[in-house]
Amino acid sequence: MSKIIEVSQLNFSYPVDEGMAPAHALHDVSLEIEEGEFVAILGHNGCGKSTLAKHFNGILKADSGRVTVLGLDASDEKNITEIRRNVGMVFQNPDNQLIATVVDEDVAFALENLGVPYDEMVKRVDEALEMVDMTRYRHHAPHRLSGGQKQRIAIAGILAMAPKCIVLDEPTAMLDPKGRREVMKTITRLNRERGITVILITHYMDEAVQADRVVVMGEGEVILDGTPKEVFQNVGLLHSLSLDVPQTAELMFALRQEDIKVPIAVLTEEDCIAELEKLLGGVTHDQN
Amino acid sequence: MLKDITIGQYFPGKSFMHRLDPRMKLLLTVLYVVSLFLVPDFWGFLVIGAVIALVVASSGVSLKVVFRGLKPLMFIIIFTAFFNILYGGGEPLFPNISWLAWIKTEGVRNALFMIIRIILLIMGTSYLTYTTSPVMLTDAMERIFRPLKVLHFPVHELAMMMTIALRFIPTLIDETDKIINAQKARGADFETGNIIRRAKALIPILIPLLISAFRRAEELADAMECRCYQGGEGRTRYKVYSFSWRDWAALGIMLLAMATIILFMIF
Repeated sequence: MSKIIEVSQLNFSYPVDEGMAPAHALHDVSLEIEEGEFVAILGHNGCGKSTLAKHFNGILKADSGRVTVLGLDASDEKNITEIRRNVGMVFQNPDNQLIATVVDEDVAFALENLGVPYDEMVKRVDEALEMVDMTRYRHHAPHRLSGGQKQRIAIAGILAMAPKCIVLDEPTAMLDPKGRREVMKTITRLNRERGITVILITHYMDEAVQADRVVVMGEGEVILDGTPKEVFQNVGLLHSLSLDVPQTAELMFALRQEDIKVPIAVLTEEDCIAELEKLLGGVTHDQN
Repeated sequence: MLKDITIGQYFPGKSFMHRLDPRMKLLLTVLYVVSLFLVPDFWGFLVIGAVIALVVASSGVSLKVVFRGLKPLMFIIIFTAFFNILYGGGEPLFPNISWLAWIKTEGVRNALFMIIRIILLIMGTSYLTYTTSPVMLTDAMERIFRPLKVLHFPVHELAMMMTIALRFIPTLIDETDKIINAQKARGADFETGNIIRRAKALIPILIPLLISAFRRAEELADAMECRCYQGGEGRTRYKVYSFSWRDWAALGIMLLAMATIILFMIF
């Protein structure tokens, strides 16, 4: 596997008024994303996760350090279009990222910008709508769709560019549970079936668990980086970062504190039930 | 309550008028307005009336809608008529009633002429917006004015601004409703008091709305950049327009009407 995004010793602070101490949003962040990975970036509000994401496609420029996307230097203005075409970004509020008043025209927006010829454009709009399962809404006005549908249109607008990687910045934060499920299903399917690299920024644990790899951030630094099982073992550390852990891991953690021997990183309900059965001595749950 | 605004309303449909190329519809509207102002006497209105009858028949939008749209303009129409009568010459219309002596034949004729002209003007332009979506109109304008780019006129930028404005109207209206409800829940009173008090009551609505609009604009700018937006240079278009037999037929009819009116002027 080749590396799609390489970040090394990235520092960034937002401009502040003169005389005030600069607020370090990112401090010496180093991170590598492999092609085809599904990475979740976790962290509480203000930990720098969105700021980091905006470096992945050159919306923000590093103060120091390097960001390389597909071998291209993100600080070089010449590479920006190529980078943005390959690393698409979906934001939290679907209302603020749809540009056109008709669904298919919005999906075509990026293609218009890239100067894609008409026939090719029509084909790619159709494909993108198909991938997010929104084909039958193609002539609708976006403001009449539900939040989850709007977010899927936003994803289609990115997919039309045929990117190698999609960065999603809390795409489900403003959605109802149904919309969240729709969007998560779409994202995982794109990763599994199309091999698109997904970077999901979130503070929902149940979403992070679905990723191949979880990166935990706090105070502008990468604190943990590993598979969900590895990361969610550190229940105490996550609590100290004001992050929750999945309820199953929470339960195991509580049992271990009572000196009951259970493995700590149990992330699905099925595994959790199995562990509890073992503990209770082979009682199966259909016997009540 | 804000959703009742009907200015420039669009009625989706698939009629003959809806399917005309928006560029052609703009051109036809201009020709229509010019013809309307060329009309020299009442007979000329018959020609325009015939044109508008064709438009109504081929648009699928009922005349009732137009008359509803005329209501708010009643004041202007009556005002115009009144002044035309006041300053009109000729013989008194009612020679036996002394207090109506100011109403003269010429004045009444002029007033009627103006009323018909205004109504026909509103009807013609209304049917443009009834059958053309705002986005198509903007698109058509961008394409028609594209040659002005040579003079460094920001055609693409203006069209993009209009598209975004149109896209955000429903979003901001929803937001306004939310803010109004939120302020009402905090005890704000928008319904009582004199006009100054009521105007002041709008401030707690406008400020949050403005702040949120700026925040949205910033996020939208990021989202547009993420989708490789870099101005109008080198852009291709998803929507292509082409003239069909409908457009040429409509143009033919309009030119015929215009020619007839010019004949009326000469003879």
